[in-house]
Amino acid sequence: MRADRWLSIGLYLALALLLLLPMAIGFLWSLVDPRVGWFAPDLYPKSVSLFHWTRALADRGLVETIFTSVFISVIVTALSAILALPTAYALAKVPFRGKRFVELFVLAPLIVPGLIVGVGVGVLFLRAGLAYSILGVVLVQTIGTLPFMIRVLASALEAIPNDLIHAARTLGASPATVAWYIVVPLAWPGFVAGGLLSFISSFEEFEKTFIVGSPVIQTLTIKLWGTLGGQVIIFPNASIVTFILLVPVLVVFFLAERAMRNERALAAGMGKL
Amino acid sequence: MIPGKLALPFLLLPGVGFLVVFFGTPLVLAVFSSFGIGVIGTNASGLTLAHYTELVTTRAYRDGLWFSIYLAVVSTLVSLAISMPLAVALRGEFPGKRLFQMLYKMPLVVPTVVAAFFVMLFLDRGGMVSRVLLPWGIEVPRMVRDPWAIGVITAMTWKAAPFMTLIIAGAVASIPDDLRHAARTLGASPATVFLRVDVPLALPGITAATLLTFIGSLGAFAIPNLLGPIYPQPLAIHMYTNAFEQNKWGLVAAMGTILSLTACLVLIVYYRATRSMRDAFGGEVR
Repeated sequence: MRADRWLSIGLYLALALLLLLPMAIGFLWSLVDPRVGWFAPDLYPKSVSLFHWTRALADRGLVETIFTSVFISVIVTALSAILALPTAYALAKVPFRGKRFVELFVLAPLIVPGLIVGVGVGVLFLRAGLAYSILGVVLVQTIGTLPFMIRVLASALEAIPNDLIHAARTLGASPATVAWYIVVPLAWPGFVAGGLLSFISSFEEFEKTFIVGSPVIQTLTIKLWGTLGGQVIIFPNASIVTFILLVPVLVVFFLAERAMRNERALAAGMGKL
Repeated sequence: MIPGKLALPFLLLPGVGFLVVFFGTPLVLAVFSSFGIGVIGTNASGLTLAHYTELVTTRAYRDGLWFSIYLAVVSTLVSLAISMPLAVALRGEFPGKRLFQMLYKMPLVVPTVVAAFFVMLFLDRGGMVSRVLLPWGIEVPRMVRDPWAIGVITAMTWKAAPFMTLIIAGAVASIPDDLRHAARTLGASPATVFLRVDVPLALPGITAATLLTFIGSLGAFAIPNLLGPIYPQPLAIHMYTNAFEQNKWGLVAAMGTILSLTACLVLIVYYRATRSMRDAFGGEVR
């Protein structure tokens, strides 16, 4: 067999063992039959049932948590896109002094650990009455998604030829018209990629949301943390929350992969540091 | 015309302004309150080093700082050892490469809490690893809530290795193939090519990946909270409990400042070290 075949087999084996197996075992835990259980040394549950799933989906609290999570992530994504576009435009198209500094500052929230940001913001939000509110959680999550959005939009905007913008302006289009009819449509792939990335990073965010929102605002990650951190860990419950959380994230992630023509846009952005 | 200098402040205002208000300001205020200036919830104000003295003289916090550094160093090194060969392997062609390139990145978007759950399922007592090894009579040491934090490091590595691979693979891919072919033609072994061509030329990417992972792990909270030992606890957890259970904001700010300073220090040392490394390799590569 050729060497590349062996490489392929080795890499896929590692992938199956380290990524797919944990997911499969995790999923099996949600199917455990409560009357039989799944105890050591069994490698798979002796009997499966949908008991935990039917009970979970009838649970009003869980359904509400799903809605809260999706609602917050959608708002965060929209807010990030609106805030990011002008700044991304300035970084991509307008030469100015101190641009490098602005670029670094804009990426900084990705570097500073979420807990430090969260505690810093949490103190101020407690004072301002924003703690334990949806608005507070949206604002604190936007700190983390804005850098992605600005970075991805800026690289999409860089690709728009300046001549197009000049031509439209010469022909009498106002800046707003240019923005709406030329910049936004041509940068659309950037909006899609950045939007999907923002949605994911908001949906899976834990530390900042936990500090600002928990225990009043429950998102899926916070609910899972509560399930795993308790005195008695009920694996089937944890498994169900895990998969409700994981499936949308992975679907959106694969969509984002396809949407990003230059898949290394973000890596390149980080590499700039 | 493209909006010029006049429009610049208005263009930067929404994005940069948001980050100045909600990101920059809290961090600056935290540094001030770590020195006793404007600490929330206390009347006593004025320049003081009391919070830093408390941090250094309390054994639990001192151990916490070392434990944070230990977790960050070990998980970054293990991730680096996995991601460098993987990044080089990803440059070559093999059947199913496109699919693999998509799938290996999954942990990037898997929430940290979920990573902790997977580690519990496998490494905890009665987990899958001990079930598989049981028939051979092999007893597995404690790996969750253990003093060496094996479970914590496993979960952190699981999250970090694909991220590092992504960045390093980007750097490796930009190395021209000609250079490697030339080195091979001139008699270098594949190992020499890796060490003398790939590593030095991919160094900016390797540096960035290492630093980002290290700094991120330094503030790890959720994973040590779920999988780590009762003692010591990393500084991030002390930060949280002191802030929201004891309201000792000055101390919390001091901890945050120390963690950030450690990160900056590592940043500087690493940049220095890699620059001299690049210089040392540089002469031979060219």
